[in-house]
Amino acid sequence: MKTTETIRQPESAYLHEPAAASKRSKLSKKTRDTLTGYLFISPWLVGFFGLTLGPLLFSLFASFTDYNITSKMNFVGFQNYRTMFTLDDLFWTSLANTLYYVAFSVPLTTAGAILLALLLNQKLKGMKVFRTIYYLPSILSGVAVYFLWMQLLSPSTGLVNTVLAWVGIEGPAWLFDPEWTKPALLLMKMWSVGGGMLLYLASLQGVSKEMYEAAELDGAGLWQRLRYITLPMISPIIFFDVITSTIGAFQIFQEAYVMTESGSGGPANSLLFYNLHMWNNAFKVFDMGYASAMAWLLFIIVMILTVINLKLGKRWVYYEGGDRK
Amino acid sequence: MDRKRNLLLAVLLFMGFLAGCSGNENSAQAEKTEDGKVVVDFWTFWGSETRRPIIEKIIANFNESQDDIHVKHTFLPWGDIWTKNLASVAAGNPADVIINDINTVSQRAENQQVEDLSQYIDESFEKQFYPHLWETVVYQDKTYAVPFNTDTRLLFYNKAAFKEAGLDPEAPPQTWEELEEYAKKLDVKTGNQYERIGFYPLWGSIGASSWMTNADDGKGFIENGKLAIDTPRKAEALHWLLGWKERLGEKTVQTYQAEFGSEQSNPFIAGKVAMWVDIGTFYTQIRDYGQDLEFGVAPLPSFDEDSGHWAEGGGFVAEIPKGADHPEEAMEFIKYLTGPEGQKYWAMKNFDNVANIEAAEAVASELTGDEQMVYQATVENLQQTKMFPVPVEYPDYHSRINPVVDNILLGKISPEEGLKKAESDVSKLKRE
Repeated sequence: MKTTETIRQPESAYLHEPAAASKRSKLSKKTRDTLTGYLFISPWLVGFFGLTLGPLLFSLFASFTDYNITSKMNFVGFQNYRTMFTLDDLFWTSLANTLYYVAFSVPLTTAGAILLALLLNQKLKGMKVFRTIYYLPSILSGVAVYFLWMQLLSPSTGLVNTVLAWVGIEGPAWLFDPEWTKPALLLMKMWSVGGGMLLYLASLQGVSKEMYEAAELDGAGLWQRLRYITLPMISPIIFFDVITSTIGAFQIFQEAYVMTESGSGGPANSLLFYNLHMWNNAFKVFDMGYASAMAWLLFIIVMILTVINLKLGKRWVYYEGGDRK
Repeated sequence: MDRKRNLLLAVLLFMGFLAGCSGNENSAQAEKTEDGKVVVDFWTFWGSETRRPIIEKIIANFNESQDDIHVKHTFLPWGDIWTKNLASVAAGNPADVIINDINTVSQRAENQQVEDLSQYIDESFEKQFYPHLWETVVYQDKTYAVPFNTDTRLLFYNKAAFKEAGLDPEAPPQTWEELEEYAKKLDVKTGNQYERIGFYPLWGSIGASSWMTNADDGKGFIENGKLAIDTPRKAEALHWLLGWKERLGEKTVQTYQAEFGSEQSNPFIAGKVAMWVDIGTFYTQIRDYGQDLEFGVAPLPSFDEDSGHWAEGGGFVAEIPKGADHPEEAMEFIKYLTGPEGQKYWAMKNFDNVANIEAAEAVASELTGDEQMVYQATVENLQQTKMFPVPVEYPDYHSRINPVVDNILLGKISPEEGLKKAESDVSKLKRE
């Protein structure tokens, strides 16, 4: 391709400035390629520096000020961070609520998705229909789903408690009882594990059959095949899922904002999640400096957990053809 | 060749991106109309089928009367409007007039989100409005907004049910004690099931805090900068509320509450609850869905014979966001919007309580029948309606009180202990 082009170039180009031309193209080829490359990604670069990194650094700075968006921006040192740890009870409430949610939702949704994927990986007639059915909830999104669940979870007329009543269980008041609000959200989350299920299903189908056959010949049972072949083979996906869903779970906000009365995080602050408390501080009380400080602390917490996850991951994640290190 | 084409493509892409970013500049709100009138951008959250035509008619009436000003209505959904306003104030390009919450005017004044309107306002202008509403728009002796509409709580009662229970339908309960007594008489029970519940204080448009202030001689949680959360009367109010719950039973309360979703099935209109606290506009629901309902209205019962029938009010104001381009023209429009003509139109069409006294009284006398009865009652009730503006020292005090009240009503903490905790929690929030 290149040679033909060189040949096709009009000879006059060589005749006029042969040395200079070749020198310039030699020097500039790389720079021009680089430039072209940067130009291609420039929309993204502008977006990243202007809309992500810029505001990020600004919020880091704002977290050391009493910034209130419209009138104040005085440097206050670590005051915001001190307030968080010593004066703001709701900070601890919201952090505890969020950790509770993360601690339950991540293992539950991961295990749920794997289990579902295993079931849907069977070679049975009509399996595609089931896969579609179980995947469907995850394409419905956001507020519509929350409203649907608010009806399903309605204490006396909701479907969930009606079904529980059939088997003689008196269902709790779900979103109205502080003890049951978070389990109610977890139940809702479990309903849409279809998204994760799809990932696992794809990776399960990538596990070679020879391994199962060989294991079966050696007398491995169902559990052993699951434990020593299936799980290790899909462990990179589990790892990926755990990390992303941990980060996602820390971001929980909409559920509480939509499903509690006037977005308060009630009853009794049982759904006051970290981000909701942060949002309230930023947009209800205009304490943007404090909200920024909260955001950075959350960033640090999530960062630490992710690093721990990455470290631990080396012990149990198996990459086919790769070293464990 | 390929490289050149790539470069060209990349440059074009980049230019396109930049153009995309700056494209709005030209189309940003025109400052003037074609015939040279100043454009006043007016933001509201009134986008519903009923309200939008009403506010737009008021705007049209104003525009017709003006040679130099043209008001343009921008509808923004509830919730969105506040964050958008805040961002636009920070960016220095806000609306000229916005409808905002009446109880947080001083917050916005303190944080420099609104223009000081004092220079446009004199005493005769102020005199047009209900004093309890005017108080909310003054911060440190300066005026930052003009009250637009308001509300107040009334006791709606089912006259047919009263007759059935042997009560005088023209003598609604006056005190908490009578309220309880009447409610018991109005209860209809078959076995364990309630066919009709006389009254439950936390249904309708009222919450625990309203009853607490009603008991406490209209005193809010923070009076003149001092905390008044942990008071004996407020604790008594909570005990009283718990008593209702105990009598009816948690389950009954919840079952009923779950059915409150749609307007058609409002339990008062359906005759399942005989007395119901709500704001004046609740009448429009009765009008639309309960044609045959025979009802009356009364002020909220008082704590005892010596205390007042205190109700809590809310509402909205018109204000000029800080940094608006045309404050003078904006104020001209606000004067019309909150003046007798604009206010009367709003009140008649929306059946809403308005801040302008002349307009409110004109409406009360012009309406007829049930409409007149309810509207008149709301107007009179404004005398014993209290506003609870959020003080700048405690911008977030609700967030500390509400969860404690939740816990008290769930029986997880006693009223006395709870209020003590709430007061200490709120005191920690104080800002200098």
